[in-house]
Amino acid sequence: MENVELLVQLQQLEGAPGSPSFFFGQTIVDVALVFGGASHADLCQSHSESSRPKRTHPPAIRLHAVRACTVRMDNSLQRVKLSVHPSRALVDEEFVILVQNVPPGSPMTLHALHCSEDGHRWEACGHYIADSSGSINAADDCSVGGSYLGVEPMGLLWSLKPVPGSKPGLRMRKKDVQTPMVVAISVFNGHHSEAFVDQVSLASWVVERWYMAPGVRRIPVTEQQLTGTLFLPPGPGPFPGLLDLWGGGGQLVEYRSALLASHGIASLALDYLTNEFTTQTGKMVDNQYFETAYRVLQQHPQVLGSRIAMLGLSLGSVFTLKMAVYSPVVKLRCAVCISGSHIQPVSGGPQEMMDLFTRNIEKINFSEQNEVIWRSLLLPVPSDPSMKADVGRLRCPLLLVVGEDDQNWCTQESAADMEQMMARAGNDHLLTILSYPETGHLIEPPYTPHTPSSMYRGAGVDQKMMVLWGGKTPEHSAAQEDSWRKILTFLKKNLYGGSDPQAIHRSHL
Amino acid sequence: MFRSHVSVTTIRQVVEINTKHRLFSPGKLTPGKRIVGSMRWESSTRPAPLLTATPVRTLVDEQTCIKASFLPSNHPVTVCARMRSDEGDLWQSFAHYNTNSSGMFNLNSDHSVGGSYSGCEPMGLFWSMQPAPGEREGLRLRKKCVESPYTVQISLLEGHVSPNQDPGKEVAAVTAERWYMSPGVKRQEIRQNGLVGTLFIPPGPGPFPAMLDMWGMGGGLPEYRSSLFASRGYASFCLAYVGHKDLPGPSNTVNVGDSYFKAAFQFLQEHSQISADRIGIVGLSYGCYLTLHTGTLPGVKPACLIGINGPVGSSRELLHVNVTTKKSDQDQVFWSFDDQGYIIFKQTSLPSNLHPESIVKLEEITCPLMYIVGEDDLSASSIENADLIEKTLRAAGKSHLFTRLSYPGAGHLIEPPYSPMSRASFWVIKPEKLMTLWGGHPAPHAAAQEDAWRKMLAFMELSLRR
Repeated sequence: MENVELLVQLQQLEGAPGSPSFFFGQTIVDVALVFGGASHADLCQSHSESSRPKRTHPPAIRLHAVRACTVRMDNSLQRVKLSVHPSRALVDEEFVILVQNVPPGSPMTLHALHCSEDGHRWEACGHYIADSSGSINAADDCSVGGSYLGVEPMGLLWSLKPVPGSKPGLRMRKKDVQTPMVVAISVFNGHHSEAFVDQVSLASWVVERWYMAPGVRRIPVTEQQLTGTLFLPPGPGPFPGLLDLWGGGGQLVEYRSALLASHGIASLALDYLTNEFTTQTGKMVDNQYFETAYRVLQQHPQVLGSRIAMLGLSLGSVFTLKMAVYSPVVKLRCAVCISGSHIQPVSGGPQEMMDLFTRNIEKINFSEQNEVIWRSLLLPVPSDPSMKADVGRLRCPLLLVVGEDDQNWCTQESAADMEQMMARAGNDHLLTILSYPETGHLIEPPYTPHTPSSMYRGAGVDQKMMVLWGGKTPEHSAAQEDSWRKILTFLKKNLYGGSDPQAIHRSHL
Repeated sequence: MFRSHVSVTTIRQVVEINTKHRLFSPGKLTPGKRIVGSMRWESSTRPAPLLTATPVRTLVDEQTCIKASFLPSNHPVTVCARMRSDEGDLWQSFAHYNTNSSGMFNLNSDHSVGGSYSGCEPMGLFWSMQPAPGEREGLRLRKKCVESPYTVQISLLEGHVSPNQDPGKEVAAVTAERWYMSPGVKRQEIRQNGLVGTLFIPPGPGPFPAMLDMWGMGGGLPEYRSSLFASRGYASFCLAYVGHKDLPGPSNTVNVGDSYFKAAFQFLQEHSQISADRIGIVGLSYGCYLTLHTGTLPGVKPACLIGINGPVGSSRELLHVNVTTKKSDQDQVFWSFDDQGYIIFKQTSLPSNLHPESIVKLEEITCPLMYIVGEDDLSASSIENADLIEKTLRAAGKSHLFTRLSYPGAGHLIEPPYSPMSRASFWVIKPEKLMTLWGGHPAPHAAAQEDAWRKMLAFMELSLRR
């Protein structure tokens, strides 16, 4: 038993904890020779008895003995080459993972590891079989196990989940958009789904995923009591502009705006729930807050005032529609609403919207795991015109993104009602609905992990609760990828090009 | 670079004034400039055109696709690239394109009709860069700090203009980063056992194949080729042997001998993250001689050798084991000068001018050898040396080990791809300024760099990994 420990400790000294099965075939004889220890048979016997090597303090060992242990890898696997290109990319760009020089037909595991800003570890893995040329290309080959299945070039990123033992209800959101998300990609021999930390990989690579392209400028906006951040694309401009609203959790969430600016759209991320004014006075802002933000954007010398869009997710979509339909100040080129609704007290602002939620609080449900389901809060869709934005009056193109498994908002019902309203009003040529099965509420930029449920605290609320967002990871991730591409196309077409009337179409994926 | 919004506002003000008065033009405009024509695009109803580079952060040896859209159709435009070297010098290039009927152009498929390069050259803006007018003379672009990228400002200008004479107005821009190191590559300064060098280790557990990397008599410690090798999965050790403050003796002489280069090779063999039997050696110019020489030292068994534009022997005195050598003035007799007074070193490395005892015993080579020739090399007699290597190996029945790449129009400094070239640059500044001619012409040299790099990596893959 002693010598097994010794072997592990030797590997530790080199900084590469080894899977005993890997090293035993070649190295055990070397160790025995150096230390004159137990016979080969004894050592193998010891190994089969121990399930996993214990980590103890390594003894002092002569360097050449250490070298004899670790350099002797199985020769056929020493040539394994892993490359990921590009190694520095924007968050919404694809990469190609290529493994080469592996024995043909051998089972391999691709693994991704990310340490988030808040110190949690996330991982994903895919099981592959090397082809006859000894290669694996994640873009062409099929994963047959792990955290994602099928031909999924980006599966290692979107199927990232907190490692076992993590706190429940985590959600990955980048706070500092000026630094990249760093992911370590590795390839392991065989098919493994767990305990990667105890294995030694054959090869590893590091990739950076950026929310900001070089040259994008990040400008905090605090004038006129606004709390926001403006992201300007590189260049003289003028650029089309966009007002970017998130949902009921509040905070100033910058990453989507940073990404939009990396695509040529000057984007203002706006905090309207936990902004400076509200945190100091305890009072919510009113609708003029959004109009002020619009004006600040419109008057910026590098923003083209006549080409401004609004994009809202969840609660943000409520105010997007309110502004698009009713505001005499806000003149939008187009609007995008993700996982949202038109149901709202038409004449009210954020406070009145919160009051509406409070009045309907008994409509919440709970899942079997005691996760909060809020989707019924605004149902049934009212027929009272003062309780929903009159989208029949819209004059600009509107893109709705709907997750059919949205457990947080009644997005699907709202979209159907909006379609009816616009058909009756005769402006449904402006409407495009993207509807995705098995997709939940948090439809975010692509290749970032799907959050089916998480610990959530609404703005101004004291307690956190476990909220069910919905969605199944593979379908939700496909929806994020497809919807983002279509959102960018929609925005570019309306903001850069002329304003073509759009035929209504609903696409089910 | 940040563009102040002041200029845009000023131009807008001037437009209004100009259309009213046509007299007074405050701000940054030169008198007599036709405002109206160049304001055709500037309007309050259309955003600036969209200029993109995809991907926007790349390794130096990777391509990026530059495109523009939302421009007027069939319209002349100029694309201009600018960046600053580590020393602060401004390098730039430009090219003239015409948009198609959809108001777009794409450097991957469209042709430049003028500027720093012509024809269809996806990476032309990068390799055709030259020092901007007014910058210091005799420059050569070499990245000192490999941990930071080159930041390249790519601008779109109206019409077919020359950015230096008639700047025109920048209507769009994109910033690209060009990196010499992948994320996760580790850089270690090595100063042990008398060795002076920098080791680059790829990310991952290893063990890795490795390259010993040497440059020419210019000295110092250029790291950028090694960092790129590591970014491609090869551990790489760039070794200084002359002109470095941490080396013994005067900086203008080679004061290290066989034991130094052997120690460098052994350092790699003994490294725990390097496979001892998968180590190659690469060298440019005098580094090529050192590559061949070290590769045939007793006890040194490289897995492959790559020589670029260098001699098979030394014109200087023989390198003995543990005996320091001195750079002698004898080889100055081989220097020639062109009509501008630039030194041409070429004759120094002609096989007949080399010390016969110094000529490497190529017949003793047991591993694959790749030799790269720039046919317009004015600094070394590359063709003659390549011929000699080929002849020797064929006579020894080892021609199957030999690969020769030969590039017409390419000069001496065949470096990683998409890098600007210098046909001449300063050799020394003190006690007097002396320029040397490297040779090569931009377009064929760039093509050579791109092709040679790809073939070098494939050669390393075959020799070090299979």
